[in-house]
Amino acid sequence: MRRCLLVALLAAAVVAGPAQGAAPNLSVQVDRTAISTTLGSDFSFRSTITNRGSAATSPLVAHLNILSLRPGVYVDPEDWSENRTRYLAPIPAGGSTTVPWSVTAVSPGSLGVYVAVFPASGEGRPATGPTLKATIAERKTIDSGDVVPVAIGVPALLGVLAVGIRLGRRRR
Amino acid sequence: MVAEAVPRPAPRGWLVVLGQELRDLWLGGRALLLSFAFALLLSVIAYLVATNTDLNFLEQRESVNLVLQAAVAVGTLLTLLTAADAVSGERERGTLENVLLTPVSRVELGIGKLLASLSLWLAAFAITIPYVWILGRGVGVVGNAVLVGFVVGSLLAIFLASLGLVISLFSGSNRVSLSLGLFLLLALYAPTQLPAGARRGWAGDLLLRVNPLTAGEHYVGRILVDSHSWTKDISWLVSPVLAAVLFAGAAVFLSARFIRLPGGLER
Repeated sequence: MRRCLLVALLAAAVVAGPAQGAAPNLSVQVDRTAISTTLGSDFSFRSTITNRGSAATSPLVAHLNILSLRPGVYVDPEDWSENRTRYLAPIPAGGSTTVPWSVTAVSPGSLGVYVAVFPASGEGRPATGPTLKATIAERKTIDSGDVVPVAIGVPALLGVLAVGIRLGRRRR
Repeated sequence: MVAEAVPRPAPRGWLVVLGQELRDLWLGGRALLLSFAFALLLSVIAYLVATNTDLNFLEQRESVNLVLQAAVAVGTLLTLLTAADAVSGERERGTLENVLLTPVSRVELGIGKLLASLSLWLAAFAITIPYVWILGRGVGVVGNAVLVGFVVGSLLAIFLASLGLVISLFSGSNRVSLSLGLFLLLALYAPTQLPAGARRGWAGDLLLRVNPLTAGEHYVGRILVDSHSWTKDISWLVSPVLAAVLFAGAAVFLSARFIRLPGGLER
């Protein structure tokens, strides 16, 4: 019975092993937790990844993600930031590294932005930072009413010119 | 006293060809029809930029850039289509024999036809100005947009018109000439559809720089969207300038040798 228990404990330890990666010793902080801006504007923030463990981490991967906090808003994070994945060098025990992120506000609404950090080995759980809540105000950049006269007028003028020339040639 | 009539010097041959080609293009209605279609396309794009919520997130500079890039792409396509018809069209319609009998050198024929096809770009550019003005006013971008659009568009128009003329010289029919011209144009624009990741790195950068169309459009974007000075990214204009000069030279040189009608009954 004791042997069975020992085997079970060993098996559990083997299975749980990879999940105990570097992530529990990592903390991710951001330099701001809220931002309000307008559609089309750029904003940036910095995330600081700290190794709270007693040994240096393995190489790490930091990843930026963006999602809508309300349903019905399509968000493609690729559109928001061109460089969302960063490969980081190992962080020594007690050390930290800061990663700057640039983001363009592509959709209006309330969005959550967060950074997750993984060991580059692919083992262990990601460590995630606090959510940066982005409130993006809608902005109408061009008044459609102004465009209509040009959008109709220019082709109409060319159409009239084409018809006029064709009629003139027929008369001749 | 009777004044002696001074004989007027005969106009240069390429001017006569240019005049005739312009009359055929514009009074014949073909150029106006193409310009009308071009204006319709710009109207649709401008209206979408102004009303569609997905497109209207664009900053005003980006909206102007979008419309200007479309205008340059389609406006230069018109020159390619017209030039691709220049010689193969005459061959197909059976009028090349008459043209070759006129006392105009073949080089002048080539120059006249090339310049006439460029008139399509000039018209397209003039049509683009109101759209750029309505979309870009208030942010101080209109002047730069008009200037950079004219410079880059003219270089690309010269390149594509010359390419079209060269294709036309060696094509027996319009069908071959137009399909080959369109295929090459699509191939040249293909790199713009590559994902952003594929355009990074030295290979992606080289591909964009070597291709006159992608290099020209990149330069326009840097000036309009990123507000760069005209000189900062000037190296991006190397391939459009080289392509315009080399292909125009090649078109004129090859016109002298290859505007010809094959002998025999079959035409």
